[in-house]
Amino acid sequence: MDAEARALQADTRRRWGLALPAVVIITLFSILPLAVVVVYSFLAPGDFGGVRWQFSLEGWFSVLFERDIFDDTVSLSDAHLTILGRSVALSLATTLITLILGVPTAWFIATRPAHQRAFWLFLITIPFWTNLLVRTIAVQEMIRADGVFNRLFLSLGLIDAPIQMMFTNFAVLVGMAYVFLPLMVLPVYAAIERFDFRLAEAGYDLYASRLYCLRKVILPMVRPGIIAGSILVFVPSLGAYVTPRIMGGGKSMMLGNLVEMQFGQGRNWPLGAALALTLTALVVVALVWYTRLTAGGRRG
Amino acid sequence: MLDLRNLTKSFGKGDSAVTALHEVSFSIAEGEFFTLLGPSGCGKTTLLRLIAGFEPPSGGQLVLDGKDIAQMPPNRRPVNTVFQNYALFPHMTVAENVGFALGAQGRPKAEIADTVARMLDLVRLSHLAQRKSGELSGGQQQRVALARALAPKPRILLLDEPLSALDMQLRKEMQVELKRLQQETGLTFIFVTHDQEEALTMSDRIAVMNGGRIQQIATPRDLYDQPANRFVAGFIGETNFLSATCAGGQLTLPQAATPVTVEYADGPVTLMVRPEHVVLGTSQPGALTLAATVERLVYFGTDTHVHLHLADGSPLVARVQNGLRGGQPCREGESLTVSLPGEAMRLLPQEAA
Repeated sequence: MDAEARALQADTRRRWGLALPAVVIITLFSILPLAVVVVYSFLAPGDFGGVRWQFSLEGWFSVLFERDIFDDTVSLSDAHLTILGRSVALSLATTLITLILGVPTAWFIATRPAHQRAFWLFLITIPFWTNLLVRTIAVQEMIRADGVFNRLFLSLGLIDAPIQMMFTNFAVLVGMAYVFLPLMVLPVYAAIERFDFRLAEAGYDLYASRLYCLRKVILPMVRPGIIAGSILVFVPSLGAYVTPRIMGGGKSMMLGNLVEMQFGQGRNWPLGAALALTLTALVVVALVWYTRLTAGGRRG
Repeated sequence: MLDLRNLTKSFGKGDSAVTALHEVSFSIAEGEFFTLLGPSGCGKTTLLRLIAGFEPPSGGQLVLDGKDIAQMPPNRRPVNTVFQNYALFPHMTVAENVGFALGAQGRPKAEIADTVARMLDLVRLSHLAQRKSGELSGGQQQRVALARALAPKPRILLLDEPLSALDMQLRKEMQVELKRLQQETGLTFIFVTHDQEEALTMSDRIAVMNGGRIQQIATPRDLYDQPANRFVAGFIGETNFLSATCAGGQLTLPQAATPVTVEYADGPVTLMVRPEHVVLGTSQPGALTLAATVERLVYFGTDTHVHLHLADGSPLVARVQNGLRGGQPCREGESLTVSLPGEAMRLLPQEAA
């Protein structure tokens, strides 16, 4: 072996050595737990929780189907499909609402004089200091049967009886939109703040109306921020657990609650694991779509 | 074609208001290369932004082809700008940038493609049509910005210090290129710069601005030879200033032995003379002769700057052209006589320096 090859080998070894801590951490905290979940999803449920070490596709099967206890006929699981559909629909709706509220907010902050922006951003980040549970219960306080809104509407004579808002999809939506709004505002703000408004001026000089400028110059350039914000809201919405639990109760469950149920009172860990992986798969699909979108933005 | 009538612009309100333009009035003719020249903060960029429509004037009229356009938004004015930082759209290709204005006007696709091709040909960038603007060099970006502003055939092209970001070599090339474009298209250019050399080489007429006021509007030659005041004289080229007194057609300098005959109103005046007109030694009659001492010689290649001081210590610079086998025109420390030929002397009203 000549000196050059030996040096190359030493170099490769040193690189592996340097990467070792990262490899260990990723294996220990990311790959290993995921592997456990994958393995569990292919095992049979234990009688009192846990798993029996016996290969079984029952967990995956139960994600979408259910077997009649008496005659073993197979049918689509309505309950699971509803929850799956609701999770995706509510997450999309949350993303849409935070977009509608967040983009103008971010625009407002980004167009303040530089010394005022820190103050507005500070207001946006304050909710992060409070526990998620406390914030969600505060929202509950607003919309429950004898909460702030109902009492206000009653006293104004707008309604005769309190509106039932809690434990509906609406309640979950309000809660999630409130909790995730800052995650939309911040990346969109960062994108608008980076935007060079002289470009808008140039467009305006070149016969573009304000709307044309917005469509052709401003939106394409802040789009990465809008997409990033949408992902930051959509992904945790899909896996949300605390908010649907408090705001939706047992009536308006989402995937996160279903997973928790299988590991808890359902005592069906393989199904819980399979559901968790389904959720992960949905997130991966969303992320791939995101990468496509941003890459497309760079091309054309 | 473009008339500015008492255009005024102030920023802020009440006591803190700052007036950036004081009643500016002038006219620009069709096809003219008109330059606004002045130091930074003189109001030239504000004036350009007023003409482009980015700022409304605080008072006065802006008349284009007989119509007051002072309150018209920029997207309705037949006036386009080449920005100092080019402001190209980074998410678009060169062709899309150039076609932007036509797209905004809702012109048919075929016409846009046709015009874009012609414009890119005009600025010699046809081969880069599909590049993103961020992938271009400074000079190329500059030419894309030009093509983009020219594509919608504006009545007037505004150029806001477009060459200031380029290095020396490229800047000289672009000066020639700009002049060629202006002559080829026959378009009216309003060019803003703080670079007097750039202004002198390119313009048909120059408006020198200072402190929000027009100091003088003239052709480059007239501006250099007959500056209206001390500011213009000092801003354009290098100049010697000497204090003098005019009485009964006689100009008296404290440093000069004999007065010379001039035609000027009585009173204290400033005598201005360009360094290249200062003659070492005596010259023809009618010239003002002064005793001076050579302080320093600075070699500049084509010529040598001779820094002198007069009897009372006031400085005077002479510029002597270097001959083929000249050697030095004089030695440092040498005492000699310098003369200022009559036609080289220009008298300006005395003002606080």
